[in-house]
Amino acid sequence: MKLKNILILLTLFIGVFSCEKNYESINISSDHYHNTVDHLTEVMIHDIFSPPVASRIYAYPNIAAYETLNQESDAYKSLSNQLQDFNINSVAKTDNLNLKLAALIAYIDVAKELVFSGERIENYRDSLYTEWQTINPNEFKSAKTYALTISYQVKTWMNADMYKETRTMPDYNIYTNDASRWEPTPPAYMKGIEPHWNKIRPFALDSAAQFKPKSHPPFSLEKDSAFYTELMDVVNLNNSIRAKGDDSEEIAIARFWDCNPFVSVNKGHFMFAEKKITPGAHWIGICKIACKQTAANFEKTVFAYTKTSIAIADAFISCWDEKYRSNLIRPETLINKYIDLEWAPILQTPPFPEYTSGHSVVSAASSEILTNIFGDNFAFNDTTELPYGLPMRHFKSFKLAAKEAAESRLYGGIHYRSAVDVGVEQGVGVGTLVNSKIIFLK
Amino acid sequence: MKKIPLILIAFFVLIACENKDKTPTSASNFLLNTIDSEASGLRFSNLVIEDIDHNIINYIYYYNGGGVAAGDINNDGLSDLFFVSNTGANKLYVNKGNLKFEDVSEKANIKGNSSWNTGVTMADINNDGLLDIYVCAVSGLLDFTGYNELFINNGDGTFTESAKAYGLDFKGYSTQAYFFDYDKDDDLDVYIVNHAVHTNLSHGRADLRNKRAPLVGDVLLNNENGTFKDVSEAANIFGGVNGYGLSAAVSDFNNDGWDDIYVCNDFHEDDYYYINNQDGTFSEKLADNFTTISRFSMGSDAADINGDGYQDLITLDMLPKDEMVLKETEGDDAMFNMQVHLNRLGYKDQFSRNMLQINNSGDYFHETALLNKVANTDWSWSPLFADFNNDGHQDLFISNGILRRPNGLDFKKYVSSAFKGRSESEGIEWLFNSINEMSSGKVTNEIFKGNSDVFENKTGDWIANNPNISNGAIYVDLDLDGDLDIVTNNFNEDAGLYENTTNATKNYITLDFEYKGANKHGIGVKAKVYSDGKQQLKQLYTSRGFLSTTESKLHFGLNTATKIDSIAIIWPNNELQTIVNPSINKDLTIKYTATDTFYNYDNSIGKKSYFKKENLIDYTHKEDNYNDFVEEKLIPYKISTLGPAFAKADIDNNGFEDVFIGNSSNQPAQLLMNNGTGFFKSKQNVFEDDKAFEDNDATFFDADNDGDLDLYVASGINTYKMDAYQNDRLYINDKGNFTRSENRILQNTLVTTTTQAYDYDNDGDTDLFIGNLADAKDFGNTVASYILVNDGKGYFVKDDNFNLKSKVNAALWKDINNDGLKDLLVATEWDAPKIYINTNGKLVLSNIPKNINGLWQSISTFDIDNDGDQDILLGNLGTNTKFNLNFDGPLVMYYSDFDKNEKKETAIAYNKAGKYYPLNSKDELAAQMNIISKLYIDHKSFAGKTIEDVLRQGTINDAVKYKVHTLASGYLKNDNGNFNAFIPFNNPLQVAPITTFTTLNIEGKNQLMVGGNSYKMNTYHGSYSALKGIIAKDTTNYEPVSNYGIDPFNTQIKQIESIKMKHSNLLLILSNANTLKLYSYKN
Repeated sequence: MKLKNILILLTLFIGVFSCEKNYESINISSDHYHNTVDHLTEVMIHDIFSPPVASRIYAYPNIAAYETLNQESDAYKSLSNQLQDFNINSVAKTDNLNLKLAALIAYIDVAKELVFSGERIENYRDSLYTEWQTINPNEFKSAKTYALTISYQVKTWMNADMYKETRTMPDYNIYTNDASRWEPTPPAYMKGIEPHWNKIRPFALDSAAQFKPKSHPPFSLEKDSAFYTELMDVVNLNNSIRAKGDDSEEIAIARFWDCNPFVSVNKGHFMFAEKKITPGAHWIGICKIACKQTAANFEKTVFAYTKTSIAIADAFISCWDEKYRSNLIRPETLINKYIDLEWAPILQTPPFPEYTSGHSVVSAASSEILTNIFGDNFAFNDTTELPYGLPMRHFKSFKLAAKEAAESRLYGGIHYRSAVDVGVEQGVGVGTLVNSKIIFLK
Repeated sequence: MKKIPLILIAFFVLIACENKDKTPTSASNFLLNTIDSEASGLRFSNLVIEDIDHNIINYIYYYNGGGVAAGDINNDGLSDLFFVSNTGANKLYVNKGNLKFEDVSEKANIKGNSSWNTGVTMADINNDGLLDIYVCAVSGLLDFTGYNELFINNGDGTFTESAKAYGLDFKGYSTQAYFFDYDKDDDLDVYIVNHAVHTNLSHGRADLRNKRAPLVGDVLLNNENGTFKDVSEAANIFGGVNGYGLSAAVSDFNNDGWDDIYVCNDFHEDDYYYINNQDGTFSEKLADNFTTISRFSMGSDAADINGDGYQDLITLDMLPKDEMVLKETEGDDAMFNMQVHLNRLGYKDQFSRNMLQINNSGDYFHETALLNKVANTDWSWSPLFADFNNDGHQDLFISNGILRRPNGLDFKKYVSSAFKGRSESEGIEWLFNSINEMSSGKVTNEIFKGNSDVFENKTGDWIANNPNISNGAIYVDLDLDGDLDIVTNNFNEDAGLYENTTNATKNYITLDFEYKGANKHGIGVKAKVYSDGKQQLKQLYTSRGFLSTTESKLHFGLNTATKIDSIAIIWPNNELQTIVNPSINKDLTIKYTATDTFYNYDNSIGKKSYFKKENLIDYTHKEDNYNDFVEEKLIPYKISTLGPAFAKADIDNNGFEDVFIGNSSNQPAQLLMNNGTGFFKSKQNVFEDDKAFEDNDATFFDADNDGDLDLYVASGINTYKMDAYQNDRLYINDKGNFTRSENRILQNTLVTTTTQAYDYDNDGDTDLFIGNLADAKDFGNTVASYILVNDGKGYFVKDDNFNLKSKVNAALWKDINNDGLKDLLVATEWDAPKIYINTNGKLVLSNIPKNINGLWQSISTFDIDNDGDQDILLGNLGTNTKFNLNFDGPLVMYYSDFDKNEKKETAIAYNKAGKYYPLNSKDELAAQMNIISKLYIDHKSFAGKTIEDVLRQGTINDAVKYKVHTLASGYLKNDNGNFNAFIPFNNPLQVAPITTFTTLNIEGKNQLMVGGNSYKMNTYHGSYSALKGIIAKDTTNYEPVSNYGIDPFNTQIKQIESIKMKHSNLLLILSNANTLKLYSYKN
């Protein structure tokens, strides 16, 4: 009897022992993170999110991952009490906690809340969960437990950012007697996108109006006015670019930076659409390229994405605040009305007021962040748009890329000069603030 | 005994044989049975091949199909058939009798040389007594070559293409040709409808139509001694790059003896209504004659459907009936901004539904497709008015269907993102390869039975309910049995042949004509058949419906009448020939003989100039820029466009009533003093100071008992959205100077619709009923309306005994029980009307019939049933509204915070066969409730879901539920002081919302003037403007106001008033967002 008991115990012991010994640690690399961000981008394209909403969807999962990773990090500082209304109650960590794994879990957990096709994120998550469960169930379990306590707090904070409330706020009113007031544009004449985005809680900005840009040149159709001159510049520039043909550098630049998530086309009753990534997504893509080019480790990768996405989100809030303050009419509308009935811009005019240029603000803000992280004169091949049928472009620095992105809106015929120039200033302001105000590195 | 079974068997065999011969399928017991192509020999199929270079992506009309024409090409007395093949060979079938046909295409040499064929017409072009064939083509687009071809009949079964010799070799994007004699020189001219393929995304201004564009602009060709010359420019025919012409209806619409043309244009271009100027030119008069037209106008037909001697019109569109299709394809919500944009470019309001335009004495049309439920037959091509059951009334056949629905929302959003990772050319290829993912648009043809008043759907009864794709269609008596058979040209399947089985059960007459000159068939001749106390008018044009042509005969059903009293033939030269008592049930050929008798087109019969236009007051109501639909996205109509306010009273005691007219926010109100012959403006600074307020209603009364008249003004929604300007106002009269009082009345920031003064408590001062419609920021909630009790000094408190929480549109103090005390009548919406009996100052709610919740717009009293007592008139939304299409049970509006975001929404659901579906599209619901986007990722998953599914049963149960049981306007019949029955008005009073009933003394008799219409509705509805004004003596005797010299009402009528002047009476017609119209009249 006794021997038998001992044998059983022994067997059990060996069993347990061998289990622990056989499980290896779940290895999470930077590529895991890149892939997950890419997957979120895919789902966002499917669901068709407008650029401002997309910027919000990028920011919160990154913050959740960053916080999960860096509660007690020696290198990185928590964003708790740095971002507006954000504080994280630290959670007791278990021994041997796989923080990278937890960060990825937190990212996915927040991401699935933000998109419409949550199921697609869940399917992605479940296949990863199954894999991790197989590799090391205990490690997975404790990472998951930890991650979800952080992500839960991020979600609670996220859900109080006025997004929900702004969904039901009034649409932009197109009834007007004001000739300068924005009107919906061809071909779909969609409603103005996100007229209340300035009510969304920013991350680093003290308010949406913190970088309120100077006014655009006063609206005027007098031939010698500054405004009219800028309008005519759009016409002339577009016409000269068209004359050069489809292979011109300007058209290549315009298309490369189009970043319009939903370009709809109607041919008679036949309707189709081109779907692409947003301006924010493009800069998230550049962030990825920089990370990969520098072989950034997991922590740095998460840091870079998080900081970039925060700056992008605040850039959109800042820009949209001005867009629906000035409510400026698009060049296409004025040109069709007063100059050339048949004129169409090289790019499709996106559905929101003109001033300032969103891409200019966002690109400038992003480039400030990336320069801060990866250094100036960081040359890279921008392959972000390859999956969307656009070729690679080479840039000598983030700032030069941002400059080209801003300029591309003029080539595209969808912005006046002031919106681009002032937009860049506005974006530099936002980027500089994020760099100086939010401390990431200890 | 033993022999009987044998006889029985023989009998059965006989029946079986007969069945086999005649109708191959056992289920064929319709009025119109489908005859299989095996049996008929009509093995034609319009097979359309798609490839990477030729498809719906690069030619927008790739799925429009081909036409069919009937005519006796071999003069054997039987109509033969010609079918157009878009890309293949056209076919000609000779009718061998008994619905058997022989394909003679090979010998005839008519298969065609153009790449893409469209419409077909048969006409004797060279006047040799043989029908020729004209086939339209699209050429110059893609790699399409060719031109419109004219196949001249050689009389030996062969044809020779000779278009060039006649000047008919038009090369462009032709749809269909219409041969007619517009200049009455006894030859056939032609109007060729061509279509644009313009893809400028900004649409271009409407005046583009003035600039003729080659290939696409419609053309009018004049026949000059046998050759055709383009006279479009000189004849004022539009030919712009925007003319998406898909059909025309030629008809003498205004009964002046000359042929007019209605052209249907697809997409944003307006339709054209060309009035023949009788001098070789036309004037386009759409805007003067129509207020509502179809947006995607496709086929059309004209005929007198109500027996009033004027030809009415139908134009087809593509509004689906099926719930899945409705929610999966692009709907009217896409027009939210587009409509405003198109208006700015100069286009008219157009709505995507079939339009049934009723002709009012040739002066103007009013539209009734929703009332008739013929508005939503899906992707519709050919409408054909004809008497299919020979009962003497015109019925309606509509061909339907499209190979693939190109406007699918999921395809656009989730399938077609073609260019991802592809070059542009690869992208197009991928897009082409994915078109099979577009959903099928097979849908049954539809047929409606007419009774000269209203149509009744007979699909599934008169014809099989069989989803397919039919484009061109015609009616023709193929077997000469006196009833009209139907032939359709089907897309990618065998042509359709419906045999009419009316046969000899009803009487008929068919007329054939022999006219003179080069118009031997008498195209344009009119026949009026008088029988059984009725008249039927038909005019001979052969190109009808869509791409198609019927035989040159006129067919009249006579029901059971055994004789025709007479037939008046009005020849194209307007000479009148009368045929008395012709024999019936036969084809009668009528030969022209010259007479000196001309038909007398007297369109002034029954019209008086009783009312005469005046311009004593220059006033225009101007709406402000407030837009309800951006504030609350799911509400069905605006509540901010309810003005102007009007009040009349003799302020200065000169014996003539003065006038207060309030305006909308940012426009000052006016006080106009009446001296008996004219009005002058009284300077009142306070109205300028208070111009930010929106004035919805007003009343003069002596508030402070000082012997002069003060003014209460009810406020609507102001453009600043500020509560301070939302308050009602009491202006106190101080020696003719009005000042706004403070603290005398209750603060009322609700949307006030009515204020009615009366000393209901009989204490010697005047009290007020204040009717409120809604909270400006919360459409769905009911709000309190109340009585303001006067303390005798002009300070008011609420009567706490009176409680009314509803949505009030109108009210009236009126003694309805003859006790000397006025009672209170209230019109409410999403609720039942309220009748409060005044019982010594207590207002007691009276019983009325159950289940009469409506969208009550107006309330009044009148002896409408002519029995000596006052009935209560109730103006509703009317049955000619889109709600009427899905009204199998009460309409329901739910009101709750469905998405739990502290803001309540409304959601309307309609009853379709017992199930409730959301009225709004997924995108509209998601714009108010973000959660919808998460619950339903694509449109397919949303389509067909009931409202309970969409909003979740739990939240539905918690929601406030408002019901509408009736859309009809009508009256509560006064039955010895009881009002126990609601009686709907006749159809002419249901054609639009009724907003006002005014009793006027006209020709010495009390008559009722009825006005209404609505431009408040959301994109689901469009606008309702078919109530052109009616003067009624009682429920059955009424006439349009236009018969009395008043312009038809095209606006949203607010109020109609009459003021006594020194020498006559002045009629004031007040409209929202329009000018005040004035008429003088004498009793």
